[in-house]
Amino acid sequence: MDPKVNGQLQHDWSWLIAVYLFLGGVGGGAYTIAAINSFLGTGLELSTTVGLWIGFPALLIGTLFLIADLGAPSRAILAAMKPGTSWISRGTLIISVFMVLSFVHLVLHQFTDVGATAGGSTLIDIIAIAGIVFAIGTMAYTGILLSASKGIPFWRSGVVPIIFVVSATVTGHFAIMLGVVLNGAVPGTLTALQTMALEAVALVVLEVLAILFFLQAAFRQPDPRESAERILSKSMFVVGYFILGLAMPMILMIVVYFSVVSTSTNGMIAFAAIGAVLGLIGGLILRQAVLICGALPTLNIAGFKFRRIHRPKDPKPGIGLMPPT
Amino acid sequence: MAASPKTSVKKDEWIPTSCGQCYCMCGVKVRKQDGVVTELAGNPDAPTGRGHICVKGLASPQLLYDPYRVNYPMKRTNPEKGLGVDPKWERISWDEALETITKKLKECQERDPRGAFFQATTTQASEIRFGVIGFMKGFGTPNYWVSGGGLHCGNGAHFMNGIMHVSWSIIPDFAHCNYALNFGCSKGHGAGHVAVQNATQVADARARGFKNVVFDPFQSAQASKAHEWVPIRVGTDGALALGLVNSLLNEHDIYDAEYLMYKTNAPYLIRPSDGRYMRDKETNNPLVWDTVDNCPKVHNDPSVTRVEYEDVAHEVALTGTYKVDGTDCRPSFELLKEHVKKYTPEYVEKITWVPAATISRIAKEFGEAAEIGSTVTIQTSKGPKKIPKRPVATHFFRGAQGHTNSGWTCLSIDMVNHIVGAADTYGSALGLGASVGSGYEKTGKPYQIPYPCPDGLLVAKTWVYDHKPYPLREPKAPTRLDLHDMFPTSIYNAFTITSPRWFEMLERFDIGYKPDVMINFGSNSVMTMGNSETVTENFLKKFNFIFSFQLYITEFEEAVADIVLPDACFLERYTPAVSFPSTFSHPQGEDDWGWTIRQPVVEPMFERRDFNQVMLDICERLGIHGKFYKGLNDSIGVRYGGEMSDKYKLVEDGSVRHSWEDITDRLLKDRFGEEHGLEHVRKKGVFTWPKKKEDIYWKWNNPSRVPIYFEYFIDSGEKIDKLWKKYDGKDFFDFDWSRFKALADWYPCPTHTEEDPEYDMNTFYWRAVMHCNSMTQQNPWLDECSQEDPNVYAIQMHVNTAKEKGIADGDKVWLENPEGHKVKGWVSLSEGIEPHHLAIAAVAGHWGKYMPIAKGKGTFFNDLVEMDLGHTDPLTFNQDICARVKIYKAED
Amino acid sequence: MPRYGMVIDLKRCYGCYACSMACKTANHTPPGVFWARVLMSEVGTYPNAVRQALPVLCMQCDEPSCMEVCPTGATQKRDDGIVIVDQDKCMGCKYCVMACPYGSRYSVDKWESYFPEGLPLSPLEEHQKKAWMEKSGVGVATKCDFCLDRLAEGKLPACVEACPAVARTFGDLDDPNSDISILIKKERGQVLNPEFGNEPKVYYLFPR
Repeated sequence: MDPKVNGQLQHDWSWLIAVYLFLGGVGGGAYTIAAINSFLGTGLELSTTVGLWIGFPALLIGTLFLIADLGAPSRAILAAMKPGTSWISRGTLIISVFMVLSFVHLVLHQFTDVGATAGGSTLIDIIAIAGIVFAIGTMAYTGILLSASKGIPFWRSGVVPIIFVVSATVTGHFAIMLGVVLNGAVPGTLTALQTMALEAVALVVLEVLAILFFLQAAFRQPDPRESAERILSKSMFVVGYFILGLAMPMILMIVVYFSVVSTSTNGMIAFAAIGAVLGLIGGLILRQAVLICGALPTLNIAGFKFRRIHRPKDPKPGIGLMPPT
Repeated sequence: MAASPKTSVKKDEWIPTSCGQCYCMCGVKVRKQDGVVTELAGNPDAPTGRGHICVKGLASPQLLYDPYRVNYPMKRTNPEKGLGVDPKWERISWDEALETITKKLKECQERDPRGAFFQATTTQASEIRFGVIGFMKGFGTPNYWVSGGGLHCGNGAHFMNGIMHVSWSIIPDFAHCNYALNFGCSKGHGAGHVAVQNATQVADARARGFKNVVFDPFQSAQASKAHEWVPIRVGTDGALALGLVNSLLNEHDIYDAEYLMYKTNAPYLIRPSDGRYMRDKETNNPLVWDTVDNCPKVHNDPSVTRVEYEDVAHEVALTGTYKVDGTDCRPSFELLKEHVKKYTPEYVEKITWVPAATISRIAKEFGEAAEIGSTVTIQTSKGPKKIPKRPVATHFFRGAQGHTNSGWTCLSIDMVNHIVGAADTYGSALGLGASVGSGYEKTGKPYQIPYPCPDGLLVAKTWVYDHKPYPLREPKAPTRLDLHDMFPTSIYNAFTITSPRWFEMLERFDIGYKPDVMINFGSNSVMTMGNSETVTENFLKKFNFIFSFQLYITEFEEAVADIVLPDACFLERYTPAVSFPSTFSHPQGEDDWGWTIRQPVVEPMFERRDFNQVMLDICERLGIHGKFYKGLNDSIGVRYGGEMSDKYKLVEDGSVRHSWEDITDRLLKDRFGEEHGLEHVRKKGVFTWPKKKEDIYWKWNNPSRVPIYFEYFIDSGEKIDKLWKKYDGKDFFDFDWSRFKALADWYPCPTHTEEDPEYDMNTFYWRAVMHCNSMTQQNPWLDECSQEDPNVYAIQMHVNTAKEKGIADGDKVWLENPEGHKVKGWVSLSEGIEPHHLAIAAVAGHWGKYMPIAKGKGTFFNDLVEMDLGHTDPLTFNQDICARVKIYKAED
Repeated sequence: MPRYGMVIDLKRCYGCYACSMACKTANHTPPGVFWARVLMSEVGTYPNAVRQALPVLCMQCDEPSCMEVCPTGATQKRDDGIVIVDQDKCMGCKYCVMACPYGSRYSVDKWESYFPEGLPLSPLEEHQKKAWMEKSGVGVATKCDFCLDRLAEGKLPACVEACPAVARTFGDLDDPNSDISILIKKERGQVLNPEFGNEPKVYYLFPR
């Protein structure tokens, strides 16, 4: 492709949006895992608690990042006016409901004994089921938001929401792992970590598959292909995400899984922690890379392809010298 | 006008005036909101633009308010001059500035007034004709030039078009032309004279199926809109044109015999011994051969002349050998026909890289499209008249003519028109601007009807300079600093004044004085003439004192100016005449005549003052303002179509002080009657009157002929040669005077003869529509727009060439010419350029510290332009503006 | 009620950028914002390469994807078909910027001068800033509105008026006898990338 006609990249959604999408995913993912674990019962109480403690705050902070990105944050209250057509409105509603559910769930779980009663337990279960639905909705929404953007062909793929859901689960999972590790070596931690490491490997494999599928699909169409080439040319994506954010955590998790006998406990915990942190950073990088590689579509007419050219603009001029006054 | 609801603007007005962002000078309306100029739009009342304007004009509010504008007079306190020297500016009062200037000019006057040298910018073409000319005549100096302008674009083209069409340029009659050959000129597709109106006309033409074949080394705007783009090697347009002439005459046998017989000197009988006309013993008039009476006749004998198409006359011989007074002589047409035989399609292909078959085909298409023999009836002021219809044209401008073969290239390209009779008739090539007119009916002014000289050849009635392109001046012992008087075919000469041996020359040629005071009006000649170091060191630094009227502190002021005066821009002043002389930039076609003026939209801001006013003030201080007024009175006669009547004439004894408002008023009243003075014209910014059809298609309404055989060049060359020998001029320059001859030829440029294979790229420059000369580069809106276009700030290069050289899109590179001058830029890759060429736009690559927006943008092409004789056309002294370079990567 | 549209004749357009500049001065757009842009393209290989300019602006789509994604209802389509942004309702999420496949929406975070930082604003820039803040503003989505203010004064959009090549025709698409309707019919006007499904109201006539 003629290098001159590189499409202009979107520059209106900044890293604030990447953090928003990331935290929304982490919150949704962590909550979902926590809620599912709460049904699976014994041995997983810690991860449930940790997951609940991650879910709501992540969403709250994420939302603050979204508001920080708004040009007129004082009008954020208007965000849900058009749920009939706008995914931002829908997302706002989904996240709002989810935030209420995850908050109530956290409060009931942590600060009340409601769960001890039969009725209370049922109530929590109902909240958890509803919460899972809205958490998945939130995770999916962060992807659908992008895939519904007609102006960025790279994002306009049904795979994007899938990637975002998988990545959200992965990052939620890593967040919980990190929380568990940081919580200290309470009994059962090592076994739990081993299980979680195995789950992590499975989830990361799933993410790798989803990403590969997404990229190969992108390569089949000219505009997404250009973005795909661009994203693959970024060391941030290849090294930061693929190697450090996916491959390394996977290796570390495998080590954690197989190392129970040969490695010291501290070493294992360290491996798990490093793997989880890398996995989380990887999730953030993925979102940022997808955002910044989003290019405007080619306009076609009469056999010509028109791109808004992307060349480094001359820097803003220095003040130079003024004529004497 | 009702203010729209969402605005707090209270006073909103539109003031008509004329644009001043380039020498096109369209009629505009300027919007002033609460006293601030915010917007420009075309003036629908003005035929120059008719409501449309270009990107530059639209961007001009930024020119008015640019914080880098010079607002106060200042002086240089560092006596050192040169590129990169800090002038150490100090603000001074107007009084001090004018006192110093007057003192310096007085000293100059005492030494020799001719030591004063006026340098001006073409951007302010209409102001030049008042403040500059008035001063020169008043002060008594012949030394003047528009820096760069003439050298790059005008010496050749304007001169030759003046000879052939009494106009500045040529253009197809877009309304009726069907097939045109465009030799790399942007007419209708970019910047330049009549840019806006031409764009409208050519778009209309395209819409009705007009075919335009464009010869250009790259996909210029015109090539991109062309019916056919034919890539051509830079500087070889003349060879291609002669190839077309040969193909028409000797391959396809297509020519317009009627036209050649009665409207050119093709039938003039030529004496074989010296190539001169055979002349009638009694009248000394050139002779033609009457084929009916079978005898020689003077060219203007009524029996062999047809002024109008329907006049009846005997046929005259175009071929054959005839005995006159015992000498066998032949019509010049036959000599031409034989002369061009060497320009076979195959030979021309070797020079131009245009395939032989293409040349032959295009000649045939052109010849057939000319519809020779066809006529049309037009409604003239004297009733319906039949005239030839020739819907074809060739046209060209700076691209084709900016070479060491300039003069003959211009004539060769236009010759294609004259072979098929496609000149100044319906559908054909027309002069541009519209230069022939009988004036406003109530006053008969401006009267601009050309007439024949005794030899029958076309003479302009009005012209932009005191001396018309034809008849040629007599070569004389030089008095001008550039030795101009010796060379009657040139407008300005650069190779003399930029030579390191300039002062030696001044002595040898008995000039008797030296460059003393330079007055600069808006020019940045450090950047616009050629290699900046040559210009600064050899020329500009030779002046004792330089003062400059300027809008910005440009590279010129930084290098050499002693005093800078804050000029008003075009929105802050009066100019009595803008679209006239119409020869220069008045639209062609059937629309009305329009005389536009410039009037201030705002009072000059800060301490800015109008150039014209300051020149008048200086003249008053020198006590020569009466002569200034006389100079204007004289100039108006030549340039504006008729002497001033006693009633409105400027008072020449100095007893009356005329303001520019008054001068504008007087000129308007003199041209258009008492009731059409400034108060009337200022309301619309323009005075219009209908254009007569016979003024557009004047060829068959005028008794003059044009040359296809340039007999008078021979004389001129011999006289120059004699003078040159007298001074041993050969010590300085070994001129090829043989180019002063009667028949056209193509000559190679240094670009074509360079033998070092390292210098394998041909580079040339083109005009981006956002820029005119060098000033517009500082306009931030135009800068932003330039960055929207992938090529304006780039060096365009072919994809494959770049690949061979390991250069990638966006790479920084150096271009270096064989003389060792080099410029830097970045590469834009394209399929739309001949692979051995590099294209660079505009006067870019500024480095001045006082123009931060312009600084560092684009590539400074002119630094590659050499100023020596080897890069000068010996016929017109036009500079060569193509260069052979090697290209290599730059570090950063 | 008319349904406003525009025809741009690519035969006539030669890429002179007058539309971009006319829009800039009429709408006071700050650096980086070109409601009326000109894109350049090239097709083919030497010597059969050819360049073409493509003026783009807001296509005033009948099915505007920007309006669809707008969460606050700030983006609206008027009865005359012109798509506008209510600057008092826009919260600046920039989702519409992502949703416009024609790249015709702009949002600026802060108003910037064209000149280097640290200089006082010129009277022109003071005016530009004030007018921009009054009509469009920072932090909110902005776009071409076919020069509504000028239409109200009975004038044509600034880009249409300036165009030296007279490549632009503006008018009522619902009136079969309008210049624009006739042109579209006679010369088979096309919209850009119809597959986007936005039903644009800016039509193009082919360059050759």
